[in-house]
Amino acid sequence: MTDQALIIQFQNGDSKEGAFTQLLKRHRENVFFQIKKMVLDHADADDIAQAVWIKVWKKLDGFKQESAFSTWLFRVAYNETLNFIAQKKRLKTHNTQNEIDHAFDHPSDQNGLKETTIQIKLERAIAELPEKQRFVFLLRYYEAYDYEKIASITGTTVGGAKANYHQAVKKMTELLQQA
Amino acid sequence: MNDMENESISKGLEEALKSFDTKTKQVTAGYFDQFEMDLMQKIKAQKQAPKRAPIVALFLDHKQYLVAASLIFAIATGLLFFNTGEKNNAAIAKVETIDIETLPDEMIEAYVNNNEIVAEVEWNSAIESAGTNLISINN
Repeated sequence: MTDQALIIQFQNGDSKEGAFTQLLKRHRENVFFQIKKMVLDHADADDIAQAVWIKVWKKLDGFKQESAFSTWLFRVAYNETLNFIAQKKRLKTHNTQNEIDHAFDHPSDQNGLKETTIQIKLERAIAELPEKQRFVFLLRYYEAYDYEKIASITGTTVGGAKANYHQAVKKMTELLQQA
Repeated sequence: MNDMENESISKGLEEALKSFDTKTKQVTAGYFDQFEMDLMQKIKAQKQAPKRAPIVALFLDHKQYLVAASLIFAIATGLLFFNTGEKNNAAIAKVETIDIETLPDEMIEAYVNNNEIVAEVEWNSAIESAGTNLISINN
């Protein structure tokens, strides 16, 4: 069944849970990995992703299908992620910068894979991008969404989305070239 | 990806982005199934939780007009109270003036007579003390 058909099924109250879980299974990985690339921390990504899907459950009845479901879904993910990051910034103390530096200087060795210097530099570069720019870059590079879709998701113009992407690439390239 | 033709990324950056993708996609086995279970449990819990009555803000769209109207009302009430207060004070003062003026002559004369003696005694004391002073000066 297409996303549209599942949404209609959900909105008709016809096996609501079944329709929802099918949509979830279809899109959960893309959404989760987009969020995880934004926040880097698995636990944080898990919290945000849960919040995203709870919001989808609550709002899906009112979704008019003026855009594709994936566009709307990523828009919810975008808003939830930025809200989470903003909230975390407000709660952080002045020691935050030291904590970030420490995290990047002493990376955790996940699943036995050693991180190379360039990987650490890249993560730092991505983390230093402004959130909107980061989200645009990740959507464009990893999801290969067109700029119209990205603009719709992030509430910007096509030109703005393109500028964000190119700025992001430029900054990351510069940061990687630093010693 | 037609637009990607103009979006060249250096090889070094491309390789780093590939590794980043691999790293972020690492999750424990069964993570997403567990994710689904946790999510559906939360949704069910929210459905079963007692609903709060939504607070309906009446006239929310016209809030600014209500605020303006309230301010005007408060100022008008204040002015009215202030003006009424002044009138009352003036009336009281006038009443007192009128009361004194309307006192009968007999009452006024009686008051003067009763206090005349007191006034005379005080006047005589004043004269005596002045006279004593004169005597002392002459001597």
